[in-house]
Formats: sequence, C-alpha cells, structure tokens
Amino acid sequence: MLFSIRIGAEAGAGVMVTGRMMAKCFTRGDYHVVCYPEYPSLVRGGHNVVQVSIGTSKVYSPPQKCNIVMALNRDAVFYHKDFVSKGGVIIYDEALDISAFKIPKGVVVFPVPLAKLIEKAGGSPKMKNTVALACALAMADYPFDILAGVIEDEFGRKGEDVVKKNIAVAKEGYDYVESKNFEFDIKPLSKNRKMLLSGNEAIALGAVKGGMKFYSAYPMTPASNILHYLFTNERKFNIVVKQTEDEIAAMNYTVGASYAGARSMTGTSGGGFALMVEALGMAALAETPIVVALVQRIGPSTGMPTWTEQGDLRFALHASQGDFLRVILAPGDLEECFELGFEAFNLAEKYQLPVIIISDKFLGEGLFSADRFNEKLKIERGKIVKGLPALAPNTRFKRYELTNDGISPRVFPGTPNGMHVGTSYEHDETGFSTESFIMRTKQVDKRARKIKKLLKDLPAPKLYGPKKADVTIVCWGSQKLPVLDAIGIFKKEGIDVNVIHFTYIFPLDKAAVEKAFKGCKKTVMVENNSTGQFAGILKEYCDFQPDFLLLKYDGRQFFGEQIVEQIEKIIASKYKGKREIRIHEKEDLEYYNPQRHGL
Amino acid sequence: MTTTIKDFDVKEKIQWCPGCGNYGLITALKGAIADLGLLQHETVITSGIGCSSKLPHYVDTYGFESIHGRSLPVASAIKLANTKLNVIAVGGDGDGYGIGVQHFVHIMRRNYNLTYVVHDNQIYGLTTGQASPTSLLGMKTKTTPWGVIEQPFRPLAVAINGGATFVARGYAGDPVHLKELFKEAIQHKGFAFVDVFQPCVTFNKINTYPWFQERIYKLEGHNVEDKWAALKKAYEDEETDYKKVPIGVFYKVNRPTYEEQLPQIKEKALVDQKIGEVDLSGAYKELK
Repeated sequence: MLFSIRIGAEAGAGVMVTGRMMAKCFTRGDYHVVCYPEYPSLVRGGHNVVQVSIGTSKVYSPPQKCNIVMALNRDAVFYHKDFVSKGGVIIYDEALDISAFKIPKGVVVFPVPLAKLIEKAGGSPKMKNTVALACALAMADYPFDILAGVIEDEFGRKGEDVVKKNIAVAKEGYDYVESKNFEFDIKPLSKNRKMLLSGNEAIALGAVKGGMKFYSAYPMTPASNILHYLFTNERKFNIVVKQTEDEIAAMNYTVGASYAGARSMTGTSGGGFALMVEALGMAALAETPIVVALVQRIGPSTGMPTWTEQGDLRFALHASQGDFLRVILAPGDLEECFELGFEAFNLAEKYQLPVIIISDKFLGEGLFSADRFNEKLKIERGKIVKGLPALAPNTRFKRYELTNDGISPRVFPGTPNGMHVGTSYEHDETGFSTESFIMRTKQVDKRARKIKKLLKDLPAPKLYGPKKADVTIVCWGSQKLPVLDAIGIFKKEGIDVNVIHFTYIFPLDKAAVEKAFKGCKKTVMVENNSTGQFAGILKEYCDFQPDFLLLKYDGRQFFGEQIVEQIEKIIASKYKGKREIRIHEKEDLEYYNPQRHGL
Repeated sequence: MTTTIKDFDVKEKIQWCPGCGNYGLITALKGAIADLGLLQHETVITSGIGCSSKLPHYVDTYGFESIHGRSLPVASAIKLANTKLNVIAVGGDGDGYGIGVQHFVHIMRRNYNLTYVVHDNQIYGLTTGQASPTSLLGMKTKTTPWGVIEQPFRPLAVAINGGATFVARGYAGDPVHLKELFKEAIQHKGFAFVDVFQPCVTFNKINTYPWFQERIYKLEGHNVEDKWAALKKAYEDEETDYKKVPIGVFYKVNRPTYEEQLPQIKEKALVDQKIGEVDLSGAYKELK
C-alpha cells in the first residue's frame, strides 16, 4: 500500500511544520513514512509544498503522484492538480476561486470553509494549517486522537491555551470532512511509534553516538538543520557547538578542536565547502582527523539554493591543493546517515585524515521513518599515545614518525613529553618545517601508505534486489532511495532488475568493485548530476564503464516511476538506444515565480 | 615541575633576519611564559603563516602552525576543547589584520580566555615587501610604488571598539617592557590582545628601530578601564602625526569568558569527557 498527500501554500505559511505534523501522525501509527519539502529560496512568496507518503511496507522516496492535495492557497491547486491519481481529491479553501483551472478527470475537488470552521471553534486565522491537516486526516479516515497528541507535542511549549484552541479547530475540520464519507481507509498499523527525522539529524545523532564533542559551522541550506539540531541538544549531549563567522573559521575550528583531542566535525553545502577547502588541506597535512558533512545543493555558485543535486562529488574528491588521501562516504538512507555519521570518526581518527560525508538536500532535509539505529557500532580512536618517556632536553616528540603502516602516534596537548608542532608546512618527524627533498618524499609516502590498511576497513558496494537480473542499476548516496522504489515497481511487473549501491565512495578497491560487477548483464548508472561524476570516478579507478547513464539535474531527485520508465525504454530498444539519457521535464512548474504561470 | 626560559629553547636554529624584531619578541614571550611558571606541555602556541608564524617552531611547547590568517580560529577551538590549556595565538599584521581580519573582529565579541600577539611590522615580509594593512600613508612598497593611499588599519581602536577585554601595545625593541606586557596579557582572564611593533629590518625602511626610539613612550597614569581614554590613546599616534607613539596597556576590563558560560564544560574539559557513553534514548523518544 502506498498513500501520498501533498500540502501546498505560499512560502511563510508554515507548511513545513504542518507536513512534519502529518508525517508524525503516521509514524505514530507505525507507518513507513517519507516527508519531503520543496520550497524556493524565499522567506515569503513563491510556493511551498510538503509531500507525505506512507506505506505498510518501506516507502523510500516521494512518488510523482499523490492521493490527496491539501491546497491552502490558489497556487497550490494549479501546481498539483495534475499530480493527483485517479480517485484522488483536491481539498481547498472554499474562499478560493479555482474555476480557471482544468481539473483532470477522475479527480474530485472538495471545498472546505476553513475560515468558518476556525471561527466556529473560536480559533485564530493562523490556525488554517491545523484545520487543513485535520481535514486531510479525516479524509483518510485516520483517527483523530493521534492528531490531537501530535498537536499537543508540537504546540505544548506555546502554552495550554494554544494547544486547546488548535485541537478545537482541528476537531471542527475533522468532523466536517468525516461526515462526507470518503473511500480512503487508513488506520494505524499498530501502537508502535516509529521515529521521524531528517537525514541530517540522523548524521548528527550518529556523530554524537560516535563521540563527537565539537561541531562548528556557519548556517547554509541545506546543511543548517544539523547545526540547529545539535544546538538544541548541546547541553543534553554534552557537546560544544559553535556558530562561527564564516566557513573558513568553521573548518579551522574543527581542525583546532581535533588537534586538542576532541572528535570534531563541521557541516555545510557546496559554497561553504569552497571556503573550507584550504583548511581541509591543512587537516590532511597536519594529519588532524576531521569530519565534514557536505550536504549538496544545486551549483555552481549560488545555483538553486533549496534544490537537490549530486554535483559536488568531484569537488569533494579533488578539493584543496596537493595530493592527499581522503575518505568520502555517501549515505543512501537514514540508517546509513547514522552509521556513517558514527563511522566517519573512526576512519578519521584511525587514519588521521579528513573524512567527507557527502549527502544532499533530498536526503538531508527529507524526513524519513526509522525504528532504530545500529547500536552495535564501536568507537576506535587509533594510535593515541599517553604516558610518554622523557624527551631529551629541547627535542620534541615524533608526532610524524615514519611508520610502516603510515600511521604515526598522535598525542594531545596537555600530555607531558609530547610537545611537537602540528603544521600545515611539510615537516620532519617532529613537525619542524622542512624543505628536505628526502624528508618530503618520505612524508608523502608515509601519508599515502595508509591506504593499504584503510581499504580493508571499507566495505564493498551493496547489492539490492535479485542476485541475477537483466539490468543492474548502479547508484551512490541518496539516489538509492528512488532506485529502490523503482526496483519495487519492477518486481510487481515481474521484471528482474537489481541495484549496486555505493556508500563508500572513495578510496575505491578495484578488486572489490570488479567482484561486485561480476555477472552483471547490462548496467544503468543513475546520477543526480549532469556529467556522471561517479561514473567517471569508477572509470578512472576501477576501469568500469556503465552501459547506460541516466542523468537528472533539474533540482529534484529521481522519481522511482521515472527510472522505471527510462529503463523500460532501454529494454524495449534491446539495449540499442542512446547511451546517455537526460531527464527533461515536459512542463515548467517552478515555485520561485508563481506569477510566471499567471498566478 | 618548574620551568626556566631555557626549557623553551629548541635545538633548531632560529632563522629570522639578523636584527629582526621577532628576536626581541620571542625572548620576551619565552621569558613571560617561564616567569609565570607555565608548563611546556600545558601551553599551546598557534600561528598563521608568515615570518611571525614560524614562532611555534622556536618555542618548545605544543604548537600549531596553521594557514595564513587562521591562527585565531584554531586557537579558539583548542581552548574550547581543552580549557585547561594556556593558549597563545600569534601572527603577523598581514595575517591578522588582512587575510584573517574577520576572526580578529569576532573573537573579541566572544572573549575566550586566550592571548593574541600580533607581530606588527607594517609590511609583508615573507612575501618580500608588499604593503600591509598597517603600512603608513605614503609608504612605498612593491605593491604601492607611488605610496600607500589607503588609511592604515587601527588595531588598537578596532580592538577597544570590538569588545576585547585587554588591549595593549608593545615594542620588540624593549623586550623587558614587552615581557611584562605579555605576562599581564597571559594572566588576564579573557581575550587579551597585544599588538607588537616589531621592525622588519629587511623590507620596512620607514618604521625602523630609530624611528620607533624617537617616538615611543610608555603609558603612565592612564586609566585602563576608561574606554574613551583608551580610544583617545589609540589614536594618539595618528593625531600627533606619529610624533608620539604610546605603548603599554590601553584597556583592561572584566567580562565573563565565552567558555565559562557553557555549562557542558563547566566541570570537565571536553577532551576529558568520556566518549561513547551518550544515551540517545531520550533523543529517540522525542523523534517519535
């Protein structure tokens, strides 16, 4: 079962909160939920929509179509009317004149007198969203008491009166719609409540569980909710969170705190990462472990700030001058966000290098349900030394000792006999600057040697779906979600398609990758960017080339249906079609300028 | 455990130009650290990039030579992560007032308990003689062949206005006086800023030792708690057409430090807190 509701309004009308509340109603009924917001980079104006999709089995990503549209303004009817499946309903405010819009056949329009209902219940006009939420839930025939509980939790801190009034207006809306008797029948599956959180929050939780003690960042969409979540909870988690003057400082703070001995992290999006690049290289040369969450949005430059893309992978891989080893991890769902948020620190500290967790707006701001996270993960800090023997007078500790495995002993300030200089300058074993041709080469080789051990720590790509299939989809990071939805559709249609998904993006173990691809018949690489960045990396490091490349870079993640459609075409062409396929939307429905559509 | 100035020596040879103001500065700094009895392993000196920023290599404590302009953010985080450490950030005028000026402006608002020493030679030295933010009007350099036409940056005035709780200026040609300034700065609870005139004998032919000897005088009877008096003193050099250049403590007040306002590190420094024991069950519950 898959059921989907969209709530649309102008920016600033609060649909994000309403969407989250609706999603919570369903996670409290044990449903699998995906709640995805789309909004332009405007505080007021433009159009905002949240789509809440639920299922009895796992729902991975928002489907293209929905069953109910809750239109809080006129624009919302225009934007979403063509995305309602047959038998679906558009609920809208009675006060709106929607006669100019052509409503597709088989779709019911249902006006609700929002203002009157609010007035009747003694509420304020601000409570429009609450009524609308109640209307949508009533239409689905979902029990009211769950909604009342969510309202209580959401508005509790605003006082009892606000809670009471919101519940009253909700009840009014709920009863109004319930009496009309729609055919939807969504009931809670059990008393179990699932968690509802964003990919960013899951990264934050994983990091905290993994012993992160320090987080510094500068606000940037779509990475800011890591910062918000950590600030809200910093005293509970006993961590220090610092909002810095810019991303340059954010990254330098992260390096500083790590040098002092705290597990440290920063988070940003592409533009902020650009400012962090210099200090990223410093972390590499000083061998100071750091973790950065790079939550991608559309680039280059300001791009489309609130929309998703996987366009920064090459940037992450090559950022900063000089040759150095780094680790790139790309979580594909909530559970992986948590695990990699944790694991990133182990890798960073064991190998004393920068670890980049690359995510995106879709996964980072999308809210997903989960039952639990992996609690079996263990903290491993690598070679940290204490209790050191006395140094000869005026000599320093060999922090950058030339070891066989390339990993040198790390010591924190405050430790007697461990004095040395952590440095961005090429150095000898004690950290003293050097321009010796021999030492330079030795230090480069030492740092590079870590890869041997490191590769053994990095799991191979994962296979999803049937072992044998005519077509194998290859993807990385967040696009796993729509791809898994696509696999579900294929399964229903009786077509065997499977998936190879990469979460450990770099460095790559050629033998492991070759093994993963062994026996694949036709491969289709699915990437949310315009050049197939990961396809290029696979070619370069593993000599693998997909048969087909499916690309999308309009600001949205792939839809499962879209992937199915394109792969069916590939199959129908007997694999003789174009090698590179780009998704082009037929209709332009941008949210930034509703006036462009005559709204 | 006690320390003497010798403990802070390193075996490597210090390589600044003969006569460089940095020699006076490092002697004063090491002397101050030793006089105060700071332990080598409990002291961290951070730097940016430039002649000045080679300093951590020449003092046997923990050190971190960061990148150009970033001494302060690195130092800030070291202090936040381990409040027990004595943290001293150093850098040059180009480093701190040019490329890294945003950190200077914001660190003063935060009032971390650390010391910031700027080697102010009014020129870019390591890059061989370009105008710096504190180069005086009319000064000819490689990048100002017709003389500087930009108003010089006013570090002391900026610091007093910006919320620094300790603002001082020293002169590398008087290391005895400078050592006392450093001692006071290090002992100050809060962000202590010391701008040090430090002649560059190779590239700055204007602001030489004799130039300073003629102009410098030590502040006496000045009320360090009076912000307006401090500002007035900070402008004295400019207003007297550089006939009178005061050194000493300009401003000193008390304000809570940033880190003492964080309950999560009140009892134990971050680095001393055990990791891996955080209980997330409450957080999970909130998400349900």
